[in-house]
Amino acid sequence: MKSKRLLAGPYLFWSVSFVVIPLLVIVYYAFTNDEGGFTFSNLAQITTAENLKALGLSILLSLVSTVVCLLLAYPLAMILSQNNVSQTSFIVLIFILPMWMNFLLRTMAWQTLLEKNGVINSILEFLHLPALEIINTPAAIILGMVYNFLPFMVLPIYNVLVKIDPNVLNAARDLGANSVQTFLKVTLPLSIPGVISGITMVFVPALTTFVISDLLGGGKILLIGNVIEQSFKQNSNWHVGSGLSLVLMVFIIASMAMVAKYDKEDGGAAF
Amino acid sequence: MIKKSIQKVYLALIFILLYAPIVTLMVLSFNESRTRAKWGGFTLKWYQELFKNEQIMSAFYTTLVIAFLAAAAATVIGTAASIAIQGMKQRWRTMYMGLTNIPMMNAEIVMGVSLMLLFIALRMTLGFGTILIAHITFNIPYVILSVSPKLRQTSRHTYEAALDLGASPLKAFFKVVFPDIVPGVLSGFMLAFTMSLDDFVITHFTKGPGIDTLSTKIYTEVRKGIKPEIYALSTILFVSVLVLLILVNYSPDGKEEEGAKKKVRKPSRAKVIFLRRIVPAAICILFVFGGIYYAGENQMMNSEKVVVYNWGEYIDPEVLTMFEEETGIDVVYEEFETNEILYPKISSGAIAYDAVCPSDYMIQRMMENDLLAEIDFDNIPNIKYIGSQYMEQSRQFDPENKYSVPYCWGTVGILYNKTMVDEPVDSWGILWDEKYRDNILMQDSVRDAFGVALRYLGYSLNSTDLDELTEARDLLIEQKPLVQAYVIDQVRDKMIGNEAAIGVIYSGEAIYTQKENPDLEYVVPKEGSNIWIDSWVIPKNAENKENAEKFINFLCRPDIALMNFEYITYSTPNTEAREMIEDEAIRNSTIAFPDLEELPELETFQYLGQKADETYGELWNQVKSS
Amino acid sequence: MSSKLIDFVHVSKAYRMQTVLDDLNLYIRENEFLTLLGPSGCGKTTTLRILGGFETPDTGKVIFDGKDITNLPPNKRQLNTVFQKYALFTHMTIAENIAFGLKIKNKSRQYIHDKIKYALKLVNLDGYENRMPDSLSGGQQQRIAIARAIVNEPKVLLLDEPLGALDLKLRQDMQYELIRLKNELGITFIYVTHDQEEALTMSDTIVVMNQGYIQQIGTPEKIYNEPENAFVADFIGESNIISATMVKDRLVKILGVPFPCVDEGFGQNTPVDVVIRPEDIDLLKPGEGSIDGVVTHLIFKGVHYEMEVMANNYEWLVHSTDMFPVGTEVSIHVDPYDIQIMKKPESEDEEAVNIEE
Repeated sequence: MKSKRLLAGPYLFWSVSFVVIPLLVIVYYAFTNDEGGFTFSNLAQITTAENLKALGLSILLSLVSTVVCLLLAYPLAMILSQNNVSQTSFIVLIFILPMWMNFLLRTMAWQTLLEKNGVINSILEFLHLPALEIINTPAAIILGMVYNFLPFMVLPIYNVLVKIDPNVLNAARDLGANSVQTFLKVTLPLSIPGVISGITMVFVPALTTFVISDLLGGGKILLIGNVIEQSFKQNSNWHVGSGLSLVLMVFIIASMAMVAKYDKEDGGAAF
Repeated sequence: MIKKSIQKVYLALIFILLYAPIVTLMVLSFNESRTRAKWGGFTLKWYQELFKNEQIMSAFYTTLVIAFLAAAAATVIGTAASIAIQGMKQRWRTMYMGLTNIPMMNAEIVMGVSLMLLFIALRMTLGFGTILIAHITFNIPYVILSVSPKLRQTSRHTYEAALDLGASPLKAFFKVVFPDIVPGVLSGFMLAFTMSLDDFVITHFTKGPGIDTLSTKIYTEVRKGIKPEIYALSTILFVSVLVLLILVNYSPDGKEEEGAKKKVRKPSRAKVIFLRRIVPAAICILFVFGGIYYAGENQMMNSEKVVVYNWGEYIDPEVLTMFEEETGIDVVYEEFETNEILYPKISSGAIAYDAVCPSDYMIQRMMENDLLAEIDFDNIPNIKYIGSQYMEQSRQFDPENKYSVPYCWGTVGILYNKTMVDEPVDSWGILWDEKYRDNILMQDSVRDAFGVALRYLGYSLNSTDLDELTEARDLLIEQKPLVQAYVIDQVRDKMIGNEAAIGVIYSGEAIYTQKENPDLEYVVPKEGSNIWIDSWVIPKNAENKENAEKFINFLCRPDIALMNFEYITYSTPNTEAREMIEDEAIRNSTIAFPDLEELPELETFQYLGQKADETYGELWNQVKSS
Repeated sequence: MSSKLIDFVHVSKAYRMQTVLDDLNLYIRENEFLTLLGPSGCGKTTTLRILGGFETPDTGKVIFDGKDITNLPPNKRQLNTVFQKYALFTHMTIAENIAFGLKIKNKSRQYIHDKIKYALKLVNLDGYENRMPDSLSGGQQQRIAIARAIVNEPKVLLLDEPLGALDLKLRQDMQYELIRLKNELGITFIYVTHDQEEALTMSDTIVVMNQGYIQQIGTPEKIYNEPENAFVADFIGESNIISATMVKDRLVKILGVPFPCVDEGFGQNTPVDVVIRPEDIDLLKPGEGSIDGVVTHLIFKGVHYEMEVMANNYEWLVHSTDMFPVGTEVSIHVDPYDIQIMKKPESEDEEAVNIEE
């Protein structure tokens, strides 16, 4: 059995080298200034009005998108799991398939769809309906987030739901619960691990994105991801960037630890 | 029944949401017009162009090779790790799963940044290798999360039974355990492959010169508008995966119905294996080995090379091919999006570029920080074709004309749509006109945006006076509600598509947009504006300085300069090339080649120092987050 | 026993063109322990699920206590089910599991508390209130599933192969437990199993099913001793099923040898099947019985010896407390009342024909 444990060796080496150490490098940069001296000022950057606002807006938008994703994904996962579609891989692929079209392109395509004279508005105009004016607003960013991250919510929930023994639901009905009660008391609690894993997989990327806000927000909306990206790419201030990244990371870990209390070990398996 | 139809409608709506953008992109791949804002009629030409476009094809193959190698490596490491983790005690298992969750939970941007910092600290050359390492790193967790559940389902007794029957542990694993977890391993591989294919953020931070994946290529092109060839490529890719999927999932079904009569519900196993395993595997192998072959062919041609770092979409690709053919020097070509991205790459010395094309103020900054090498003008005889007025203009940032060779130049002005704006436009003030609320496009870069405000206020656009800057900031904040979007590239597409009435734009873009939409008019406001020059420079740490000079000299040849002008439409300082322009309207265009004397006061941006840069950045953040 | 409680009237059900139940007619009396017995796919579980309300029949109706409940949802039916593999709510404690149905009915806290106590006592698991289902053994989970069902005081308890996942010893214990429960509760049990021994041990009435048809309905003794066709004979216990000819009333020719029997009314020279249980065969000295043969196999089974005797080209299965070593020449004797005569099916299909009681 000893030899079996050695199999984890390459992974351990890899993870330490390319996951743990890089994070330590970030920590190092976060706590030093240009001259290499120790400082808290990089972390303190988060308290400036602009950065706080960006962080707050990021949290707000990602929370909203997470909730929207959940509300859209849960019924979807239920329908898919009930319909006994025997080809689980097929469903997975339906949601994975769009990823074969580049994510930047797909998001760009929403511009074409949402613009003032875009595809959707042309259709609405043709139908004599009022125009949809959400491009370059937070709504468009939320749409972009929901669009990009919906699969990450559907798949874990679906995976949990299909694993529920139909007889458990039958048992609830049998014991007198109507379909609503069955859902609230049995289906929902049993699917919590999937929901949590879905929330994680939507909330984190939504919170930290800079591309979606860039492409659909018309540059008018600054999220924390944009601030970090700018400090690396435009202001080339790696120390501030690292400081903000560190704050963001700690925030994510804290919020995930809060939710993950309910998570079972294998709840994280999304696919 | 009603429930069923509601379900169907719901599924259909989600399906539309997921696939509407994809359909849009597919439609765009048949669009005759280069811009996505306009439908120019049906064409298949982009599909032909695609295979001629070496840059896109090589980016595509790089993407595939990296995705394949990263997924394969991650599958091996991840599967081994899953097996080991499965046999561990609870405490260790929790630790390992925690380790696995870090990349899953961590923000992509943080991970990309951290890897970049590590690679630079280790003095590793950013390039293929670093991208591959980064991709393997974020792929492993997907494999582990796919394989582990399958492993948990397999009984350890079968493994022990195999040992009992005399199989060696290795054999027992491959004969008994492995077949059980194959679906998990395969889906882990496919997932890793897809994730790798779709990744942008991490690649963005870990890539080096001369290498592009589709994602980074697209991101660079965002500045100048996406090439329709990219749409064509994506369509081909998507459709082939779709066909594959249908093949894999539907054929066994047909078989199933036939079998149903006999109550045997199993499709022929051989057929399933064939469709599920062999066909996809064959296609993967085809792609990947094609890619390796292609990449190999591309790299191994010549020993002489020149590493060029240029703006996205800022050269006619044909020119690169011609240069390689004429001189036998390979061009390693990389693109950047903004001057600010370019600077740290040069200053850190992580990558040795030979020829770089920054803008005026950035050249000044690089000179001040002693990053540039003097150009040996004996090697650039074609400098004589560059108009003297442009060399004179260059002195603003390169006082002795020792470090730079002008490549493109232009002004910043207002592009407006005559059908939407009635009054004559001659002042920046129109950008603050309530009438055009939500119809104004501003430049999404600090200096350009502040330049507009500063000139409107009557200050220099190189101002470092905090009061003046604060005033400009307030003006920009006041303007923000009127602005439809802050953009760089998309001013062009949006103006062509009648999305906005007024936009701040570079003169070079104006020429192109006018061609696509005759309602557009370009003007340099009376308060004065910015004149910019992008010039070729050679960094101090260049390894192929002579080749760089050959390259720059080549670009100064009038026929080459003309090709580039026609491709990028930015004004060329090459007077000889201008004379060769066939279209008289363009040759004499006051937008492309204005008489500098007749224009309002024009300033070149100057490098204002680190401190001022930070002030600008801070103020700009305040505008953006207001 | 008392009157009809449940009545299936012409119930049919098919999945994807495949008939699972074909015109099923069956009634169940109050306080009966009725077992649906048959191989997998015979329709027994479907019958139970239709009764539970989890399936709707394609045609026909189900009458419960005089009312048509065919389209009533499961939560409105006065019966409860114990599911295969228990189907406990893994996210709830044992107490919460048991309280589930009572809470739905808004019973008082005290009532629920008492009921949980009572039910756990009934299934011999007092003190398990706060355990989670995952921490219980299979047998314990099974008993919780039963407790969860019976606290709702159903008129009928449906049990779908509830002992299938348990090991032999536990299964036997649970059989007695179930009988005890049934007697204590005084309600109707409808039990689905493919295990003939379970069925024979516990049931008042056994319904043998195959391919969607009822093969025979009767008491365990009747089913065992007087199987109505080869399927039932073969399915219930071990037996020798032999093609024979009914020469005339009370005389049947088996393997060419005439045997006296007690059956009448099959006509003359009619082909029939005969069933002879292995324990009903007496082995005598050669020449003393009806057919002579040689012992070819011998296995010690504890209670008895199991032997195979080759006689007239047929391997007779014989159970006996006397031992005859392999190679011994013996003679086979069967008493007339131990020979069960069955009509031969005229076609393949008729093998599965519905036989009314």
